[in-house]
Amino acid sequence: MARNKTTRESRLFRRWLRRAALRSALVVALITVAVFFIIRLVPGDPAVMVLGEHATSASIEALREKLGLNLPAARQFLRFLQNVFLHGDTGESIKYGVSSRALVFQRAPVTLLLVALSMLVTLAATVLLAFLAATHKDGLFDQIIRVVPAFTQGMPVFWVGLLLILGFAVRLRWFPVGGLKPGFGGMLYSLILPAVTVSFGQIPPLVRSLRERLIAVLDADFVTTLKAAKVPRRVIFLRHILRNAFIPTLMLLSVNLSYLIGGTLVVERVFAVRGIGDLLFEAISNRDFPLVQAVALYCAVFVVVISFLADLIAHWADPRTLT
Amino acid sequence: MKKKIIIFTLIAALAASLLAIPGALAEDGVTFVYARADSVTSFDLHQEITANNAFAIDKVFEPLVLFDTEGVITDYLAASHTISEDGLVYTFTLRDGLRFNDGSDVTAEDVKFSLERHMAVQGPLPIQADIASIEAADEKTVVITLNAAYTPFFSELANFSNGILPRDFGGKTEEEFFKNPVGTGPFVVSQWDPAGDLTFVKNEYYWQEGKPAIDTLVYKVIGDDNQAINQLRVGDVDAVESLTYANAAEIDNGSETDIITRGSWNVEELFFNTLDEHFADVHVRRALALALNREALAQALTFGYGEVANSVLPATLRYSATDTVDALSLDLDAAKAELAQSAFPEGFSTTISIPSGNNVRMQEALIVIAAGASIGIDIQLDAKEAAAFRQDFRNLNYAIMINTAIADFPDADSIFAFQVDPEGFSQCFWTSYVNDEAVALMKAGQVTLDGDERADIYARLQQILADDVPYIPLYYPSILVGVRSDVEGLVILPNGTADFTGVVKK
Amino acid sequence: MRQLKRPRRGALTLGVGLAMMLVMIALALLAPVICRFDPLEQDLYAFLRPPGGLHPFGTDQLGRDMFSRVLYAARTDLRIMALAEIAPFLTGLFLGMIAGYYGGWVEWAVTLATDTFIAFPYYLLVIVVAFATGAGVHGIYITFMLVGWLLYARVARGATASLRESEWLQSARLMGYSDWRIIWRELFPNVLPQAVVVLMTDMAGLLVIIVTLGYLGIGVTQPTPDWGTMIAEGQNFMTTAWWLSVIPGLMVVYTGIALSFIGDGLAEIWEN
Repeated sequence: MARNKTTRESRLFRRWLRRAALRSALVVALITVAVFFIIRLVPGDPAVMVLGEHATSASIEALREKLGLNLPAARQFLRFLQNVFLHGDTGESIKYGVSSRALVFQRAPVTLLLVALSMLVTLAATVLLAFLAATHKDGLFDQIIRVVPAFTQGMPVFWVGLLLILGFAVRLRWFPVGGLKPGFGGMLYSLILPAVTVSFGQIPPLVRSLRERLIAVLDADFVTTLKAAKVPRRVIFLRHILRNAFIPTLMLLSVNLSYLIGGTLVVERVFAVRGIGDLLFEAISNRDFPLVQAVALYCAVFVVVISFLADLIAHWADPRTLT
Repeated sequence: MKKKIIIFTLIAALAASLLAIPGALAEDGVTFVYARADSVTSFDLHQEITANNAFAIDKVFEPLVLFDTEGVITDYLAASHTISEDGLVYTFTLRDGLRFNDGSDVTAEDVKFSLERHMAVQGPLPIQADIASIEAADEKTVVITLNAAYTPFFSELANFSNGILPRDFGGKTEEEFFKNPVGTGPFVVSQWDPAGDLTFVKNEYYWQEGKPAIDTLVYKVIGDDNQAINQLRVGDVDAVESLTYANAAEIDNGSETDIITRGSWNVEELFFNTLDEHFADVHVRRALALALNREALAQALTFGYGEVANSVLPATLRYSATDTVDALSLDLDAAKAELAQSAFPEGFSTTISIPSGNNVRMQEALIVIAAGASIGIDIQLDAKEAAAFRQDFRNLNYAIMINTAIADFPDADSIFAFQVDPEGFSQCFWTSYVNDEAVALMKAGQVTLDGDERADIYARLQQILADDVPYIPLYYPSILVGVRSDVEGLVILPNGTADFTGVVKK
Repeated sequence: MRQLKRPRRGALTLGVGLAMMLVMIALALLAPVICRFDPLEQDLYAFLRPPGGLHPFGTDQLGRDMFSRVLYAARTDLRIMALAEIAPFLTGLFLGMIAGYYGGWVEWAVTLATDTFIAFPYYLLVIVVAFATGAGVHGIYITFMLVGWLLYARVARGATASLRESEWLQSARLMGYSDWRIIWRELFPNVLPQAVVVLMTDMAGLLVIIVTLGYLGIGVTQPTPDWGTMIAEGQNFMTTAWWLSVIPGLMVVYTGIALSFIGDGLAEIWEN
């Protein structure tokens, strides 16, 4: 009986794996094509952005010709595909004149570290706060934990960032105002305030979701049964409660993570941390087509991998979600 | 319990090591860090025009002649110069002992090569003078002959785009050369990320004795205004290239910070598309100019750091008539009377275009909108993102816009050629304005040698523009640089660039 | 004892939240009656006045009365919040539920769509839409139509999928109920509480996005008063004229609290 269940599960798992792989590839392809055409639909000329608004028409025309911007869109798209498949690159950045892939890879570590750090802060705070709230339901803790996030949530990121800078960096001088200190340690140190700033907006919905689920699970019949059967509390909490309560939170977290990749641009600007978000904004503002393309492509790949992993964990935690 | 202690110790050790690292790395000598909003993307002096690149290019390449803080042009790489009386022949003699930053000597052939490449490339700041020939008479003497007299030529030569580089790029390819540019300037590119920071080191062969006093100059890219001033407050940067008017007083009053101000060669201006059905009518343009309170606008938006503009020629440039020209100022009755004479006595609806994300422009537009409302012209705000805005106005797809007119070099013609010549590529700063009398004066100004006659020509031209109002000058912005109090000798020039050669940190 | 307390507490929370929200809506509606000044009227000789006297919230850089602007902004922002959320909420719930309920290719197609939009760098979409439509309210509506439904679809699908194999759904099927009935009568009430909690936080989040667009210079177009643009414009004055950004900021926070109380209250009532 148990054996049957396992083979069924592993068969389902393999099927899910195949489908997920196909879906991921499709997602990346769809995004690549969509970005290529969407960014060209927005008014604005990359050549004017490079040469400045007072540049002569002749010099702008010469640059457009050199960049191949006068070719029909289909030809440009073919060129782009050639570049991707033959050289594994999305082309040279129009504004910076260097490989757009190199720029993305140069900026990526900072953003990844920032996101990882803020995820760590977010997760720790979420589990702690939600658990405190759920176990003290309707108590003082619960009330405080329910009200405080409402305050922090309404605060715009640049505002929180600015306040943290004024307080902890300018007045107390505990942290750098912005930018990155040299070395890995320096980088981590410089990213603490930005990471906390990011977490400010992330924590409230997660705490809410996890708290709801925890309460639901705590009240569930099987928990009462387990308690009656004198199963140790720690086992109940880890094996049953957290596992059941955590899946929707995990899903939210993975969505948040996708949003954060390329979505840290405000924090990056406020703290002068030059990462992917900042690069994306510059790229769009300058109509730097190859660079926009590169950021979108690599972000998409990354997000697809993350959501794949999140699904994997969810299935591992609760095989019922496999279909 | 033991476990906890071990973990605690580990965390403490980690934290200590993290805190220790930043201090461990210190560079030799004096480093000066300058915060700027944009990165330097290219050193090709003939292909660039934007300030982010120009103010790095001019640290590496230097021209024959250069302007000072008052806009007066004097010999720079040239030891002396003569201009023939007919204004056709310019002769420059180079300084003795001039060397490029790779140690090689500077010769007349290098000058010839540099100017000829600029003429061949043209680029966004082409030389306007009609040059017949450039000859290296000997090692140190360059003779430039024009086909027709062109008074602004001497000023043009002071432009960063006419800097001197080694003949044939010192034997390198163009691409290699501009990655590691070789010039006579005070600084040499050391580390350069086109999308990020730029580090210069001092040029050991620099011709000005004992300069530069600093060893390293860093251009640090900080896009956010508040971040930049906060880094200035704690001393992470030594100066900030451009402060907002809103922050200037605060930085000036700070105990560890100061500001340096300098009148610029820019004019904040309101432009009319004279092809627009409403603004083709001079009475409509005059009516709006009469409805606008420029004094109050300048005061509220620049907090007194900007000066009210009456002329399109910045007060910092020679021949500016801002104090003498009879310009239209706030007079609501006259404005209404003027509108009554137009083809639209009952008023009309139109739009004002500005780039979004620029707070000062936004406020200017709102004041213009209120002025329009006071005489029955309904103006809607059309705020487009910068690139889209540029595309629109360059295609003359707007009714009113606000923009900044910039003199590239300190000569009145730099403004007038751009704003009065309907045959110029910009069609009079994209206004499509045509006035034959103004064009004749503009052309006369180009061939008249400096003096009273030229002053008279430009005074008449400025009065015509003030009466015809194809554009309304609003104010002359100031350059505001934030600086740490321990910095001395930082000189800001009126085009917005900084001269770091005399900088010392106490 | 606790069992009895809970719904009452839920009702209380909901009541407080609704009351706070009603006060805000009333202020917005009555703005023309309450305010002494026109929110657009400039006085260039009275700019950046601190709060007090004629101007209880001070004046901005153009001498406009901040009190009027803040109240009129409530009209703009509450309207945007409500309108921009309706379509994505319904679309997301519907797509998520049918995906979770039917599974198979329906689920596959919906997840492909959500995954694509999620993997699309969020700000790329937001900025590009704003650039294409020009700064302003339209861009915000369009952006939210495009991306707002994702969250609800994910929540609804997750919740539905975990219920799909549950015994009571199986028995509902055995009893011959139609899919439609099962979705709306059985699944919907189960999914709704979670979705509404998300809706309330998302509405507060929308305000933050409007503010962020203001920071990036592509928010609601002036002269229409809006909290987001006001906060963003005030940021250079944080240390010299705090009221420019702090007062509209407090309005955003107040609205956020009201919304989350409503969400919490509803969730607790539905729990029982």
